[in-house]
Amino acid sequence: MMNDTFDNVDRAGSEEFVQRFVDGELSAEERVRFLSQLGRDEQLRRRAIELEQLALDASRLPRPMVPDGFAASVMSRIGDVAVAPAGPVASGFSRTDVSVWRRLADAFAAPRILQWNTANAFAVGCLAILVMVEIVTRGGAKPDAALAPAVPATLVRLVILQQGAKTVQVAGDFNGWSPARTSLEQISDGAWAVTIPLKPGRYAYMFVVDGQRWIVDPFAAEQKDDGFGSRNAVLEVKPLEQKTGAAL
Amino acid sequence: MIDQDDAALVLASQQGDRDAFGALISRHARSILSLTTRMLGPADAEDVAQETFVAAYRALASFKSDSKFSTWLYRIGVNKCTDSLRARRPENTSLDVISDESAAALDVSNDETPHWELEQAELAWELDKGIQALPHLYRESFVLRHIEGLGYDEMSLILGVHRDTLKMRVYKARTLLCQSLAHLDGVHR
Repeated sequence: MMNDTFDNVDRAGSEEFVQRFVDGELSAEERVRFLSQLGRDEQLRRRAIELEQLALDASRLPRPMVPDGFAASVMSRIGDVAVAPAGPVASGFSRTDVSVWRRLADAFAAPRILQWNTANAFAVGCLAILVMVEIVTRGGAKPDAALAPAVPATLVRLVILQQGAKTVQVAGDFNGWSPARTSLEQISDGAWAVTIPLKPGRYAYMFVVDGQRWIVDPFAAEQKDDGFGSRNAVLEVKPLEQKTGAAL
Repeated sequence: MIDQDDAALVLASQQGDRDAFGALISRHARSILSLTTRMLGPADAEDVAQETFVAAYRALASFKSDSKFSTWLYRIGVNKCTDSLRARRPENTSLDVISDESAAALDVSNDETPHWELEQAELAWELDKGIQALPHLYRESFVLRHIEGLGYDEMSLILGVHRDTLKMRVYKARTLLCQSLAHLDGVHR
């Protein structure tokens, strides 16, 4: 995935190389290229030192001392309960909470009337189509309150054409860059879509096809360098007052 | 795969030996307490660490010896931290979302503190504050990678997330932390 993402860039001086250097994940050949570049590029050198220093500082953070009686307190809370027999117990291997995004996806899977404005949020390309539909929520289709605590949310519809794909997901600033949290559904042959509520702001994102291929939407209204040698599409959700009448 | 000493203690615990489970607590309490402290801050850390061991005990029968006990325990701990954060801030479940507010919270600088008076302990305090201001998903990845010193493969087992996704989260966490600590550059770092 990462290699797909960072192809076709000057890799030796890229943010990705610096970060992988800090993680000790460069191959011997890559290390030589990186260190050569480091000798020529003072800014890169400063960045490498900055990140190494951060990793060092973090590793040196004091570890808390375990209070006296900690184990006794745990055993007291356990009480006389015996180890449960094997079975579908709360083993900790599964997240105890249903994903907010999953609940949202379920919520939006239910039939409901959505009002669309496709006039100024429509881009067409041979590889991908992004349709962004902004719908100011006014009662009807309420997103999860947790995702839109005080600010009215805007529903954003992401659509992409990917013939032959088995899965399509989206990862971005809005979901912690976790593609598993936001899957698109196939709405017709080769067309995938998802609707997500977003607070006003700017969000970088990429599509992930079949869990492997990260696609930068070439037709997004804006792209920006992601700091790792590649580019992300950028989605801007404007505050309500700046788009009066535009969405509905 | 399981550590031999842990294996014996787990087996004994599964057979009802409470002292054996007490020994497991003693062996792993500091790691779990470190995790909960960095994820939640000191106020809730001990309680959630205890909850982690209680949950582990109750689920012990489901533990498979082909995995590391510490990995399994970390996973329970991470989930307990997530539960605690959601209970604490129900209005902001999407702690992983970077918003303008959270970005502002990352600025941990204190212009009123003369930089030359900052000492190492204060650096640790600033770094800890920066870590706790990170979006949740970035924070848990950074803590496991750089505080607990785990590799991406083990992190992937703990969090159930692909290692490349975790790398991206750690990269972004490091970048955000560097930004938030930039005011300390050239002083004592």
